Amino acid sequence: MKHLDKLIQELSQQQLEKKTRRHFLMDCVSKMGGLALAPLMFGCGLDSKPKGLELSQRDLNPLAPLPPPFRGKAKSIIYLHMAGAPSQLELFDYKPELAKYHNQPCPESLLEGKTFAFIRGVPNLLGPQANFTQKGESGAWVSDFLPHFSQVIDDVAFLKAVHTDQFNHGPAQLFMQTGSPRLGRPSLGSWVTYGLGTENQNLPGFVVLTSGGKTPDAGKSVWGSGFLPSVYQGVQCRSKGDPVLYLQDPDGMSRDMKKNLISAINDVNKEEFNQYGDPEILARINQYEMAYRMQIEVPEVMDINDEPEYIHELYGTQPGKESFANNCLLARKLVEKGVRVVQLYDWGWDSHGTDHDGSVDMGLRNKCREIDRPMTALLLDLKQRGLLEDTLVVWGGEFGRTPMQENREGKQQSFLGRDHHGDAFTMWMAGGGIKKGASYGITDDFGFSGIDERVSVHDIHATILHLMGFDHEKFTYDFQGRPFRLTDVEGELIRKIIA
Amino acid sequence: MIDFVFPLFGRFHPILVHLPIGFLAFGIILVFLSKKGENKHLDSIRLAYLLGAIAAVLSSISGFLQYQYEGFSWESVQFHFYFGCTTALFSFYLFYEINKYNSITSFYKLKSGALFALMLFTGHLGGNITHGETYLIEPLPAEVQNFLGYETTANKGLEIPEIGWEELVYYEDVVQPILNQNCSSCHNSRNKKGNLDLSEYNALLKGGEDGLVLTGGNPEQSSLFTRLVLPKEDDDHMPPKEKRQLHSEEIELIKHWISLGGTTESKLGDAGIEPELLEPFIKKEETPFYPTTAVSSVPEDNLNVLKESGFFAEPISEESNWIMISCINLSSFSDADWEKLNPVKEQLAFLDLSRTQITDQSLDELVGFPNLTVLKLNETGISGEGLEKLLKNENLKNLYLNKTQVTLEHLESLRNHPGLEKVFVFDTPASGNELAGEFSFYLERGNYLLPKLATDTIVY
Repeated sequence: MKHLDKLIQELSQQQLEKKTRRHFLMDCVSKMGGLALAPLMFGCGLDSKPKGLELSQRDLNPLAPLPPPFRGKAKSIIYLHMAGAPSQLELFDYKPELAKYHNQPCPESLLEGKTFAFIRGVPNLLGPQANFTQKGESGAWVSDFLPHFSQVIDDVAFLKAVHTDQFNHGPAQLFMQTGSPRLGRPSLGSWVTYGLGTENQNLPGFVVLTSGGKTPDAGKSVWGSGFLPSVYQGVQCRSKGDPVLYLQDPDGMSRDMKKNLISAINDVNKEEFNQYGDPEILARINQYEMAYRMQIEVPEVMDINDEPEYIHELYGTQPGKESFANNCLLARKLVEKGVRVVQLYDWGWDSHGTDHDGSVDMGLRNKCREIDRPMTALLLDLKQRGLLEDTLVVWGGEFGRTPMQENREGKQQSFLGRDHHGDAFTMWMAGGGIKKGASYGITDDFGFSGIDERVSVHDIHATILHLMGFDHEKFTYDFQGRPFRLTDVEGELIRKIIA
Repeated sequence: MIDFVFPLFGRFHPILVHLPIGFLAFGIILVFLSKKGENKHLDSIRLAYLLGAIAAVLSSISGFLQYQYEGFSWESVQFHFYFGCTTALFSFYLFYEINKYNSITSFYKLKSGALFALMLFTGHLGGNITHGETYLIEPLPAEVQNFLGYETTANKGLEIPEIGWEELVYYEDVVQPILNQNCSSCHNSRNKKGNLDLSEYNALLKGGEDGLVLTGGNPEQSSLFTRLVLPKEDDDHMPPKEKRQLHSEEIELIKHWISLGGTTESKLGDAGIEPELLEPFIKKEETPFYPTTAVSSVPEDNLNVLKESGFFAEPISEESNWIMISCINLSSFSDADWEKLNPVKEQLAFLDLSRTQITDQSLDELVGFPNLTVLKLNETGISGEGLEKLLKNENLKNLYLNKTQVTLEHLESLRNHPGLEKVFVFDTPASGNELAGEFSFYLERGNYLLPKLATDTIVY
């Protein structure tokens, strides 16, 4: 019955949207007579209430918390997305064989039937540009690009043979975050917020922070709500200066006055909703109320200046600047205050070798230094506060990079770089419900393709939803006449990394 | 050249069967509408019965052809066939009889009623063949199903006990359960798609219309294995792509069984398989995180009252009666507010009082919440005095005391706690002092530092 209601609601909404002025005038002509006749014939007035369905508690407060279908091992997610796609071959996927074939032409068999973004003809293989050692009790291989992170890998589970079918940033980021390489689907964070609401009523359920100078190539759709009501989209905070603008009331505006103002606006909006029944009006009402409540909590939670000095040292934060370190610290503060999903995007990982910054031996090292200490600090800080018990941390890019050196336009480049590659790359997860020190997935000797324990993007989504307490096959939203899932028709749990 | 006619006609059976139902039902309705001595419907009834009888004969023929050309066993269709033929004959008889009458008699009405029952039963048997015998049972509530004597648990697939799995018979206890879960719904003795029956070993050996499916010792020659690993889009891939797909471990187990010879004798322990392969199927006796005692669910109204007073109050999950309460938006909570939590005394399993106004006095109240499993008292006025009162909360597993005044001496009093697993004391006096000995629980004291490395400052 619930499904049917939703479909009727959607249908009537679409009909309303299609009404043009012309329709209205035509209706006027034909209905005027009827209007005059109606009281004569039935002796009843016109129903002044809008037709449609009764509003549930959830419609009135779409961010109200809900229990998950089954006990989730995690309550919150911190997703660290390295936009541009870091090279797995310089960080985690150790390939000594590849070093032996450094600078030799790539075997044709690897190239057959493959499409690359920039590689043309037969490129040369490029050996790992980092030194690897085995670390921790788990004995996982980590490169010297991440000296701090290599100290905490026993808390982490690696996925070494992730694959995607997209080889351009925008579609691949969309795929990784929304389960579809095309626009229009809700992001992972939106799904989770839709399913669980927000724990802290003074903060949004889904916050996005960016660093690295640019936002992801796919634009804001990577944290968009797709066909879910827009109240579930990620709330992007500014990475420099005030995280949220106009938080302070202007001089002379008291809190009560503000409250009256908001409730007056909302009354008008409710009136509007009663007339037209557009659910986006409800979203608007809620956003006004949320903004009002955010004024209480946001100044405190978004201010990292109050943190003690040793925390700043741990993270390597520099208040006031845009940095991944600041965002990591903010992520911890937000999760501590009950935010469901914190999504961090760090831009600048697209190491094609076209310039110094994009070289896998130098530029990539600089990028790694920017994240190494902060993300290690984030894990340690979550751990010491006990937050890692029920917070899931996910790290990864949108795809990986080729074992071959990029030869843009068939020419040798002056810097060492790697092209986009989706057949095999590394991601890691840690925290709530993740098996510590696990490693899943094996790639071939060149790190070109996964040969065992491959996982798809849908598998990762299925696993994340599972840890949050959802069965990814049952967590659906009815839209355009059918139920939609984050994992579409695919996705299998990666059971071996679940504790 | 016209070989295809019979099988094709057979395939029309599912459509044709509806014709006699319609015709005969119409005739039967007219029979019952006719009053005694009245004869205005007689012609219509004759026509309806005649058409119904002819359609019933055609249905029976097409049904027989379908049985001949498709993978149905005689046992599964025989009664449907007999009853179908009887329906056809009986409707001819009624048509013949009505020609003699000028009006409808009561006895004729009775016979028409019998025809209706016959037709209904025939149709039901047919439905059982196409949709399965439980088709009408499945949508019923579980209690009704149990009342009717049906097992409600679906085929769960392969399950392996944690201890003693070496003694399992490889075929019977491992391969067959996988086949039962994934193949048998289309390949059983009743419904043999592709003339293949995988419901038991001897039937499996016979193979299907494409020949044998098992070549002992050679998985690559056995379509029982090869079809599983074909690309999903391939028409020959099994199971069909819209059905549940076998997991890689299940495929591996089948492959390994075939390469061992594909017999019924071998034991799982002698098969030389890596235990990892079995891991996903081992049913672990997982100790649940929250207490196992049963408590009644908290009435919705009581939860709403709590929510209105500013608590975050939700069940742990939709299926759980345990309640999670947090004062994340209620920092004014103090020692005087405990009575508000009285309605959830039994059910409260997760309580977060971080950053509230509570003091050591509140520790006395906690005794009233016997099922408390997670307790967060971060950044509160807890000094650590009287911490031993928590010994009475036997179900307590995780205790958070970050940024309080707790010392290691205070924690000593919890040493004999029966269930405590983890205690977090980051940023307290306890986190700084030297640790005298190990605690029975995991003590997280934090204070992590990352060393300064030369590489932190080198810019390449």
